[in-house]
Amino acid sequence: MTDNPDTGGGVRVFSDYVRGARDFTEEADVVVVGSGPSGSVVTYELAKAGHRVILVEEGPPFTPQEFSPDGNISMARTMREGGLRSTTGTLMPVLQAICLGGGSLINSAMCVRPPGFIFDEWSTRFDLERTTRADLDPHFDAVSEFLGIAPTPEDVQGPRNLLFRQGCDALGISSEPVDRNVRGCRGSGECYTGCRARAKQSMDISYIPQAIQLGARVLTSLQVQRVLSEGRKVQGVEGQVVEPFSGRTSHRFKIRARWVVLAAGCMATPVLLQKSGDLANASGQVGRNLQFHPGSAVAGVFPQALNPIFGGTQSYQSLAFLKEGFKLETMWSAPAALAVRMPGLGEALVKHFGELPRTAVWDAIASTHRSTGSVKSRFRSMNPAIRWRLHPEDMKVMLRSIHVLAQIFFAAGAEKILPGVHGLPDELHSAEEAEVLRDYPIRPGDLVTASSHVFCTTRMHGDASRGVVDEDGLCHGFDNLYIADTGIFPRCPSVNPMLTAMALAHRQAESLAERI
Amino acid sequence: MADIIWAGIFIALLGMALGRGWAGYSRTGPSYAVLARREAAFLEAAAEVLFPPSEGLPLSGVEADLPGYADRYLVALPVRQRNLLRALFVLFEHATLVWPAAGRGGFRRFSSLSEGQRLDVLRAWESSGLYLRRMVLTALKAVLILGYVGHPRSLGALGLAPWKLESPRVEADYLYPPIGEGRDRLPDRASVPASSPLSPLLSPPLSPPLIPGVDQETS
Repeated sequence: MTDNPDTGGGVRVFSDYVRGARDFTEEADVVVVGSGPSGSVVTYELAKAGHRVILVEEGPPFTPQEFSPDGNISMARTMREGGLRSTTGTLMPVLQAICLGGGSLINSAMCVRPPGFIFDEWSTRFDLERTTRADLDPHFDAVSEFLGIAPTPEDVQGPRNLLFRQGCDALGISSEPVDRNVRGCRGSGECYTGCRARAKQSMDISYIPQAIQLGARVLTSLQVQRVLSEGRKVQGVEGQVVEPFSGRTSHRFKIRARWVVLAAGCMATPVLLQKSGDLANASGQVGRNLQFHPGSAVAGVFPQALNPIFGGTQSYQSLAFLKEGFKLETMWSAPAALAVRMPGLGEALVKHFGELPRTAVWDAIASTHRSTGSVKSRFRSMNPAIRWRLHPEDMKVMLRSIHVLAQIFFAAGAEKILPGVHGLPDELHSAEEAEVLRDYPIRPGDLVTASSHVFCTTRMHGDASRGVVDEDGLCHGFDNLYIADTGIFPRCPSVNPMLTAMALAHRQAESLAERI
Repeated sequence: MADIIWAGIFIALLGMALGRGWAGYSRTGPSYAVLARREAAFLEAAAEVLFPPSEGLPLSGVEADLPGYADRYLVALPVRQRNLLRALFVLFEHATLVWPAAGRGGFRRFSSLSEGQRLDVLRAWESSGLYLRRMVLTALKAVLILGYVGHPRSLGALGLAPWKLESPRVEADYLYPPIGEGRDRLPDRASVPASSPLSPLLSPPLSPPLIPGVDQETS
């Protein structure tokens, strides 16, 4: 292998490796694997502290010209396995990004601090003495200030978000505008396919450029396949150059580093550990305890036009039911992607399409603590085998969330809802009709769900025999191997996880900077 | 002698099955990067019954060229997922040779069934008690709906066409070339007017909110 001195002003892209056409080796103080929210925060904070950092990302950087408003094409290009990854057991699509900035490029910018009782559970159940809300608030504050996180202003809410508030108000349910990492949002509702307005502060346009200015190097289109280790120490990572979209691998690379931070995500990090000789798995917990926030959506048709393409993608929410196990929020996406959930075939289906301009879609994410699974590596692939089963008791929670959404829709003036529950009528026309949801004997498979929130596969635990990392993200039994992604969450956080992941990463970076 | 008769019957049945299943697809028509003729025929036949002409939308499923759309989508997918989707299309196309559609002439491939029979076949998938079977239909519907509703004419008619937006320059634009290109394709910093927001962290709100229905692309 040879050194490759050309870092291209801080960023290296696929064409740079093609031009070099050779195996190469790099060196750094710290190598961070994965450029999602956690990895980007760690990279920036360590670069700010004056350390030599290399950030490695498997996907390419996207520019606005490459964002596609077509839901299929967008997912095929920005998501792992072309957006068609799913669990087995209970079949559920799982959406995970493969691009510079990770999920922040194609999420809806929701930044929600979990309430104190969530962290109290974490602290007491998992022996995490320094992980209370009070402990983490300074880190939440630091990230929020950097990204300009603020409540969505009224003038970019749009009717479909404000109707949610109206419905909640009518029923006495608390609700609030969503805090988001945006600056100058114009309400174009395109978060999921990439923000052409450049308002969303995804990692690729916020933390990463700033980290580069501080001297960090960013190497994209590199697939890390193995962590190099000896005894209690790791020495770096190695893998192959990977072509964007095709996934074709070519020449090899090695990055030697004194510290390794795995931030590849809740699916990829455990697979990488397993592929590296079952690293950091003395507890047997690597790849286990998998949890999701399964989402279910309800569409409501109003008598008036809503101009639904205007307004923040997900700009209003209710945290009123967190203790019952679900969170309610508004949502929007590429219209054709939303149309996929329309029931029926033929004329009935096309009729629903015609109602899209009068349709709002609201969803619930559920804290399905009872529903767990596992992630395992596959032979000759870095993609995971994901096994997960939705527990019947958690199904009841999800049904309850749909019932509440139905009530809110009718309180806001909807003329009908499309509940999306197999075995029930395609349309319900009043709050009374929607009472059928209250006691419906729902079974796994009656709901079409999906999730992009994934947790716990390398969980944090104060007891080394029951978890993979400690409170600073340091792997138990290792001196210099860290994990910084949602895999370290000990339980699902009940709210959108990006901000919590970044706050934890901020704390980890501080701890690591001190140790370096 | 009996052996010869049985062999003849077997060959005849095999020939009939092959004829109904695999032969006779039109050799004319557009060529695709990925889609085989049988897959295109299936998609066209499914689109015809899924999205019939309607007052609400300006084009039917046939007019939306969904095989062409599916072909572009397949090209964008990784090979494994591409092959899985193609297998799904083939499964639908030939499943009626194993589980025939109701009515006369039901023992044919999907694309050779009558419109009513095709709709009945899809209904059976949609209302199936098996979750997996319903999910398979959902996957098929997803591909076709995204192509049909996402067609510029459909979106334009619904008033849901994408906003006409210009992306302001940010610092990142000087770092990342277009995918597959070299750094010589990066914009020149000197060519950017001084008033352009170079760093999103410092930029003020870009403009007042968009007004729905104004300045949208409809074609």
